[in-house]
Amino acid sequence: MPHQEETEERLRPLMIRSLEGDSAAHRQLLGVLGRYLRGYFGRRIGSATAEVEDLVQETLLAVHLKRDSYDRSLPFTPWAYALARYKLIDHFRRRNRSIQVPLEDAGALFAADDPEEGALRTDLDRLLQRLPDRQRSLIEDVKLQGLSVEEAAQKRGVTAVSARVMLHRSLKWLTQALRDENG
Amino acid sequence: MRTADLIELLARDVRATPPGVVNRRLLAALAAGGLVTFAIVALGLRCQPLLAAAQQPWFWMKAVYTGLLTLAGAVIVRRLSVPGARLGAAPLVAVLVILAMLALAAAQILSTAPAGRLALWLGHTWKVCSPLILLLAVPIYACLVAAIRRLAPTRPALTGAAAGFAAGALAATLYGLHCPEQAAAFVATWYTLGIAAATALGALAGRRLLRW
Repeated sequence: MPHQEETEERLRPLMIRSLEGDSAAHRQLLGVLGRYLRGYFGRRIGSATAEVEDLVQETLLAVHLKRDSYDRSLPFTPWAYALARYKLIDHFRRRNRSIQVPLEDAGALFAADDPEEGALRTDLDRLLQRLPDRQRSLIEDVKLQGLSVEEAAQKRGVTAVSARVMLHRSLKWLTQALRDENG
Repeated sequence: MRTADLIELLARDVRATPPGVVNRRLLAALAAGGLVTFAIVALGLRCQPLLAAAQQPWFWMKAVYTGLLTLAGAVIVRRLSVPGARLGAAPLVAVLVILAMLALAAAQILSTAPAGRLALWLGHTWKVCSPLILLLAVPIYACLVAAIRRLAPTRPALTGAAAGFAAGALAATLYGLHCPEQAAAFVATWYTLGIAAATALGALAGRRLLRW
């Protein structure tokens, strides 16, 4: 499928640059993936369902936190597809719906994208309120005020390293909380 | 929080990852768990006189059998720990190695006089062999699962089974340093049973432990 080869050629370099620590490439990759994930989940569970956007966010968090598991010598699209399919299967399983998710070619994920963000069932901002104060205020500085992690660390009087660790832990915690809420 | 905001947040949490981190984590887990099990074998069970044993073909028959299964198991775990990877030939290799061992055992039984067959098959330690291998697999399994949890297995039960299989095979290899049994029929039965038990329990535990 020529379309998928094109997608592969576009996304794999972005993923490799993201693994090398390029945050602009990471942002771009997650943006593109988010639109494809929305299209894919929408086709599988109904695009009007409020669960679609939750699942998109949960999967983006997983792509982010699990990106170590991508082997740079292999194609990227099958990795992304397998991860998205796993999240979809997990979604059905936690609702005790025995829906078989067919094992398709990675093209199933990249068939059509959907740029329109849907409504959320679980708001991450609400989950953030359950984080300890220090972690929450760090995220708010970074997210709302657009500070870099270094700037936010300086503002709160912690080292940049510990701010990075805090942010990373918060994201892990958020993934778990999102999964539990929607379970 | 809109998805666009989430992506913005995630982009702030980017750090460079060196290539080859998957292999390193899994090998480190096998080494750490293997070291604990080796310590239990060496200090708790005591090794047999290894210099004498190493000159006997039966010692190497056991080491090669369980060593090959460890290798195949490790490759399968590696494949299952990341999304989208193909399983490849490793499961087939494992099956062929087990079949070869069973064939060797059958040949040995058939070439033994009927009166001596039971003694050959049961050895002196058949009651403790499989349970000990299962027990010795626990530290290795625990280390492997801890490493796999940081990766992204998309088939939790199957991955748990593979981790149990690799842990059981490595445990059996280390148990061979202690176990003085010499018969192929013994090894093909009781070693294999111990590894099979580790595989089954590994699948059960993996179902719960390897979700993310």
